[in-house]
Order: sequence, then C-alpha cells, then structure tokens
Amino acid sequence: MILRIDRRLLQNVDWPLLAAALALICLSFISLWSLSPSGGIAFRQLVWVGVGSVAMLMVVALDYRNLVRAAPAFYVFGLGLLLTVFVLGRTVSGARRWIHLGPFTVQPSELFKLIFVLTLAWALTSRWGRPLSRGALIGTTALVGVPFILVVRQPDLGTALVLLPVLASVLIGLGIRLKIFVGLIAAGLALMPVAWLALKEYQRERLLVYIDPFRDPLGTAYNVIQAKIAIGSGQLLGKGVSGATQSRLAFLPERHTDFIFAVFAEMWGFAGCLVLIMAYGLLVLRGFEIAAGAREPRGRIVALGITALFATQTLINLGMVTGLLPVVGIPLPFMSYGGSSMVVSLMALGLLLSVRMRQFQ
Amino acid sequence: MASGSGPRRDAWSKRVLTLTVMVAAAFVMLLGQLWYLQVLEGTKFRDMSEKNRIRVRPVAAPRGILFDRNGLALVDNRPAFTLSFIPREMEDRDTVLARLAVMLKIPLAELQDALAKVPADSLRPVRIRRDLSLEDVAKVEESKLDFPGVVVEVEPQRVYPTSTFAAHVLGYVREVSEEQMKQGRYRRGDMIGQTGLERLLDEHLRGRDGGERIEVDALGRSVQLMQREEPRPGAQVVTTVDRRIQEAAERAMSGLSGSVVVMDPKSGDILALTSSPAFGLDTFAGNMDRDAWVRLVKDPAHPLLNRSLQGQYPPGSVFKMIVTAAGLQEGSLTPMDRAYCNGEYSSGTRTWKDWKPGGHGHVDLRGAVVQSCDVFFYQYGLKVGPEAIARYARAFGLGSVTGVDLPGEKSGLVPSPEGRRERGRPWHSGDTLNMSIGQGALLVTPIQVARMTAAIANGGVLWKPRLIQKVERPDGKLAYSESTRMNGQVDLSPVVWAFLRQSMSGVVNDAVGTGAAARLPGLEIAGKTGTAQTIANSSSAKGQDHAWFASFAPVNDPQVVVVVFVEGGGHGGAIAAPIARQIYQAIFLEKVAMAALGTGS
Repeated sequence: MILRIDRRLLQNVDWPLLAAALALICLSFISLWSLSPSGGIAFRQLVWVGVGSVAMLMVVALDYRNLVRAAPAFYVFGLGLLLTVFVLGRTVSGARRWIHLGPFTVQPSELFKLIFVLTLAWALTSRWGRPLSRGALIGTTALVGVPFILVVRQPDLGTALVLLPVLASVLIGLGIRLKIFVGLIAAGLALMPVAWLALKEYQRERLLVYIDPFRDPLGTAYNVIQAKIAIGSGQLLGKGVSGATQSRLAFLPERHTDFIFAVFAEMWGFAGCLVLIMAYGLLVLRGFEIAAGAREPRGRIVALGITALFATQTLINLGMVTGLLPVVGIPLPFMSYGGSSMVVSLMALGLLLSVRMRQFQ
Repeated sequence: MASGSGPRRDAWSKRVLTLTVMVAAAFVMLLGQLWYLQVLEGTKFRDMSEKNRIRVRPVAAPRGILFDRNGLALVDNRPAFTLSFIPREMEDRDTVLARLAVMLKIPLAELQDALAKVPADSLRPVRIRRDLSLEDVAKVEESKLDFPGVVVEVEPQRVYPTSTFAAHVLGYVREVSEEQMKQGRYRRGDMIGQTGLERLLDEHLRGRDGGERIEVDALGRSVQLMQREEPRPGAQVVTTVDRRIQEAAERAMSGLSGSVVVMDPKSGDILALTSSPAFGLDTFAGNMDRDAWVRLVKDPAHPLLNRSLQGQYPPGSVFKMIVTAAGLQEGSLTPMDRAYCNGEYSSGTRTWKDWKPGGHGHVDLRGAVVQSCDVFFYQYGLKVGPEAIARYARAFGLGSVTGVDLPGEKSGLVPSPEGRRERGRPWHSGDTLNMSIGQGALLVTPIQVARMTAAIANGGVLWKPRLIQKVERPDGKLAYSESTRMNGQVDLSPVVWAFLRQSMSGVVNDAVGTGAAARLPGLEIAGKTGTAQTIANSSSAKGQDHAWFASFAPVNDPQVVVVVFVEGGGHGGAIAAPIARQIYQAIFLEKVAMAALGTGS
C-alpha cells in the first residue's frame, strides 16, 4: 500500500463536505450523551468515529479507480460475508444480520452497500463506449440480483430497499432510456410474487410487518406512535436535554439507533431539526456536485452512487421516524449508534473525497 | 454546477441536476412534515408526552378448532385468565414480586426467573401463570394500583370433552420451550401444539395475535381504546374421526392398557384411534410444574406413547391370515389340507405346544383358522416357507409405516431368511414355526394390523390411513385438504379373498370359533383373534400375553374395521373380542337394536 501525499490532492479536499459530516457526528455525540449521561455509548461511538476516520483516510489514499478495479474481488468477499450470515443466521436465530468476530459483531449488509456501489461502477464502465448496452444491463442485473435476494431473505428489507434507489440513480445518471427503466421496474415487480411464494409463512409475516406495522401492534406500531409523540412534543424550540421525557424515560424504543432522530427532535425542536436537515442537505448537495463535476466515468458512478446512498438512507430513516414511511430498519448515517454504520459511512465519505481530489488528475 | 465541455458532459450534469432536484424536493417534504408535527400539532403531542399513558396489550388469537367427520367439536376454546408482567411498565420490582408471591402463593423464584429471561424494557407481556382462578383474578384486580405493569389478560384456552379424550390423536398444547424458541418462529409465551394433530397442523391452528392500544389515566385505569387490531383466529380442521365411535372405543378400553383402531375399509379413513392409558390433555394447558412432567415421562405405563402406531408387538395368531393368504395364493396350501392336532408339534429335539392343551383333533384349513390351531400352522407354515410368508406380510403392509398423519410412527419388523443371512445370522426351522403363528422376531403396530384387515375386507387395497379431511381458514378458504390415497395393492385371486373373509366370519360365528365373544345379533362380524406371547413359546403367565382382535363388519359389505389390542390382556378371544363387540354395538346402534326387537333381518 503506497500512500502518496500529493499537494494537488490536498488542495482539492472538499472542506464543506467534511464540515457537514463533522457537524452531524457532533450532533450525534450530543444526542447519545444526553441519553446516557454516564457517556458510555457516546464515547464508544467516538471510538468508532476514530476507527472510521482511519478507514476513511485509507480509502482516500487509495485511488478510487484502483478500488473500482478491485471491485470483483470485493464483490466475492461481500457475497461470502452475506452467505456466512445466511448460514449462521439459520442456526443462531434472532441475530440474522450480524456475524460475531471476537468481541465485535459486524453487520455485513452495511459493508455491502459500499461494495455494491463499487461493483456498479466496475460493471457499468466495462463497456463505456456504448453505455448501458443490453449486455451491461443484464450483467448488472445479475450482479445485483444475487446479493439482493440474500439480503431480503435475512430478512433485512431495509438494506435491500436502499440498494434499489442507488441503482436507479446511477442508471438515470447514465441516461438510461425511460422505456428500459420502466421495463426493469415492471420486471422487478413481476418477480415479486415468485419470491413471495418461496418464503415461509412466518417469514412473510415478518415482511408484512414492515409494510403494515399495525400487524404487530406491540412492536413497530408502538415505536412509530412514540416517535411521533417525541418529535411533535419538541415543538419549535425543543425541550432541552433534561426536559426530553419521551427519550429519557425510555418510552422511545431503539432510541440510540434507528430512532435517534426522534431523540434529537424532542430535545432541539423544529429549530434544531432545521440545522440537522441543512447539514444533511449540504452533505448530499456537495455529493451531487462532486458527481456532476467528475470527468471520468468511474468517478462519476462512484460519486453518484455514494451520494444516492447517503440521500436514500437519510430520507428513508427520517421518513419512517416521522411517520411518512413504513418502518424498515435503516440507520441514520453519522447519527445512529452503531460501529458498522459509522465506519461504513466514513468510508463512503472517503470515496466522495477521493473522487473530488482526483477530479483534475 | 460543473462546467462542462462537450455534449455528453452536459447531459450527465443535467441528469445529476435532475436527481438533485428530486432529493431536494424530498428534503423539503420532510421539513414540511416536521413543521406539521412540531409546530402545527406540537401542542397536542406535548400534551400527550406529558402524560404518556399509552399502553399496548396483545389480544391472543383463538386456536383453530378440530372437528370430527360429522361436525362435532373434538376440542374447543374457552376464555381463561393469564397473569402477565409487562417489564417496561413495572416499578419497584422487588416489592411487587414479593407481594404477588405471597398473595397468589407462587414461589418468588419462579416470578424472578420469568422476568430474568426478558429485557427490562420489553413491552411484550411475560406470561407468568395461566388459567388463574377467579379468586386470584379478583385479588390482583383489587390491588391493581399498587402493581403497575402487572396485568390479567384474557386468553382463549383449550377445553376438551374429557381430560384424556382422543389424547394421542389431538396431542397437547404447551408453552413454547427454550429449545423451540431457537427456531426463531415463535415468541416467548406462545402456546404451540407439541404432539399429534395439534403439532402437525400448528401453523394452521395458531392464527395471528392482535393487539390494542389503550389510553390509561394516572391510576392506570383505561380511559379509551385508541386502536384495536383484531386477532385472526386459527384455521378449523375437519378430521376423519367419528366422535361417537372414538368415545365408545375409549369407554370400552377404560382401565386397560392397549389400543383400538377403527378404520373405514373403503377409504382408509380413521374413525377412531385410541391408546391407553392416555395422558390428561388439560394438564399441559395451564402451568404444568416440572415434577408433574417428570412423573408423566417416567410413568411405567407410558401414557405418552401412542400405542396404536408407536407400540410394536408380535401379532400372534392374527398373522395366520397372512400365512393362509400366502399358502393359498402360492398353491402350497389348499382348503382341503388337514392335520391332526394333539396339542403339540415336535421338530428336532424340541416340542412346540398348541395354545390349547390336548389339541383340536382333526382340523382342515378353515377349522385351523376358526379355532386358531397352532399345530396346523406349524406343519403347513414349513410347507408355505418363510420367504413366501415374509413376502406376503410385506405385501400386506407389515414392516413399513402406514404414513398416517401423526408423528413418530414405527415400522414394525418382518424377519426373513434373506434378511437374517445378510446380517450373517442363521435362520432355523424354529424361526419358521414361530413366524407361522405370528411370534418370534415379528413385530407389528395396531394401525398396520388395521390396514391389513381393511385390505382383507376390501379385496386388497392398502390405504394410507387418513386422519385429516381438510383445513379451512376462518374466511372459508381451504388451506389444506387431503383425499384418500392408496399406498399399495395386494393381488390375490377372488377365491382366496372369499376364503379369507369366510374363515374370519367363522372365527366369530361358528360354535367353536375363538372370536365368539364378539358375536352380535343383527350384524355379521368377521375377525381373527390373536394371543401374543411376550416371551416366545414360553409358558408365560396369562397376564403377560397380549390380546388381539382384528375384525370387520358386515361381512358382505364391510363398512368398518375394528382392531383391538390389549397389552398384557390375556387371550384375544376372551379379552379383545368382547371389546370389539362393544364398539360394533355403538357403531351399528340401530341395526343391533332392531335385531334385539326381532324386527331386524
């Protein structure tokens, strides 16, 4: 591994992008801290921020083009991890999305999101002369299909739902013809009944709960109503740390992971949410700008894919916490407590930075 | 945005811009929702959060009901009270648990254990004790205010016609075990079918729990129902069992150990299936303590064993029908063959006794069947040969499972010289002698005997015994249905079938027949008795012999097969045949009553 520190590279660091991510990490720290004043989880999360930053620097140092070139290897590795979860998940039920590595538990589907973007960039540039030839489309569909099925069967509908908009964004960016795009969506919809039949009754039930949370009134439906109360009760200016009864009195479930936004919203109100949303807006806008400004096909797809990943995760998470979307287990990038999510988000950030820094090479 | 040079570059950034606008629009929508929740509706939510008193309660789905073939319920549900804890709502656990333990006389450790298994912030009720007495319910309700998080739920619970009714067919329902939890498809506290049809059809029977959200006031009293998701009841099962016949069979077997199988020879439908002693189904429904469970498992009478398909016994003389069929069809035996029975048969250095001291004198084949003469079958069994006997035994379905829809069926054993040779052990002529009268290594289950008898009655069709007709969802849709299915056919000439049936009729209706005790005016029954020695050819005490009676009726148009097996009962004719008689009496109630009045045919 050669770390070449090029001055030109450093000149092109996208500071606003970094600033947005840093702001979000700070807001996350405050929220986690206020949830447990002893600071246990907040500091543990800081450790993950540290680990993630090192990973991010490594990603930046390695040229993203090399990473795209190595994508097939990553893809096989990622598929292996998903299969491991699938096999282990059968024997050790309940913890289907995680692999135990010594004291840590790793969530391979998180890492696979990155591998997914790199694989797309690899597959869709292999025939750049005729972008989106039929062969490229079929190949891409096959590449995407296998892991997608594995993820759905875990079942981790959340991750699966994130992958599809990312794919769609990249295809739209590459100028896919509307007819083909609609055709792909129709084909996907047509396959759903087949997949449905392959599932067992209780697996179907689990998926149905995602779509209709009130099938499980003690689980997700309760979460949604409590999250709404938490957010709404924050009103314009929030209740502050001590007044946030919803969060502190543990009415709110999953409050440091998927539902952390509700904690934040209760404490800081609409004003705080505006700041938070602006930070995400800045992150995503910079991402799109990097994608638009990239000159080279792999950089374009990587930047657009990563940006779409951030945008989709953020929008789906905020949508479900505010009651606009059904509840699927998706963490909020940079905010939710969790090592896998934080490290992967920072690595994704590294990819965006890397594309930007090498824009003029 | 990026400054492009060249048309493609422009197109790319334009498309990226389109995506940017879409995402920006989504963010604006989100801000709109936040504005709505926090500013427009903020006061309402602030109010709700200040007295966050929303409680959620599960509403248990009633388990599906099992019916008999005539629409009578075999098992039903009744409402029962369950004491549950909701960990997240509990305050001051130690005091509450201690007070409850004293009030309801439940060991404190049991309460603590139950709570220790679930996370402290779980919303899902932890079931502590099912089927509370009304008195206990009143006690808990009175002190409700002192016990936040302690609730009494109403759950449907199984109720059975009698404690042991059709226990081995229905199977028991019990709370999911730690082991079963690992499959990942159940929730803690779920009641699931553990044996019998309850287990086989659990997925259909279980239904889906509902739930309700209620608002409670500061004292924990419910103020209003906010939302209710109705539970979806389990599917209904129509079995082939006839409750009336099942009851009659159980009544006839009361106090005895053994099994009765009643089958329709025209379809293979199981009309009744008993195994006694049976276990009390209702002892599992509530809270079964560990001691009671261990007592049940270790009971020397093995009440959990389903003798009708898990008990393997020598068939005794019932097996003579197989030897007869084999001999007649193969030509090694004819109805004219005769033997003189003086009560014993010598072969080599050993003497083989007939069951009747002094013997039966001169007998032909029919006489040998009717009187169950062992000496005749010793002599002609050697002539028919063990290979042919084993082949016909297998053709009649012995030695292989019937495939009945109940778990744990045993296949029995049909020994043969080839099989013995493969394992490097010799086959002696003594083995053939033993086999000829249904003893030795030969093992059968009562349900196999029923299938075999049905084949004799219907002319050779081996049915897959059918127990389930259909499973119907509450919305009337069919979830599952089973049609009658053959799993084999025995080809014998019509003359042989006629001989088998007529000789079996003689067993019951001839003056010297061993099955005379089954005789019933107004109904022509055909049968074969069997007395299986548990220790072959020993002069064992009577109490150790198993009694068999395999029968069907009416002879000319067989409608039912009744197989009775009594463990350690003694002579088949003396013990098992009268039980079959009682069962026939119940089945053909009218016919028999008419005959008694002298108006029947």
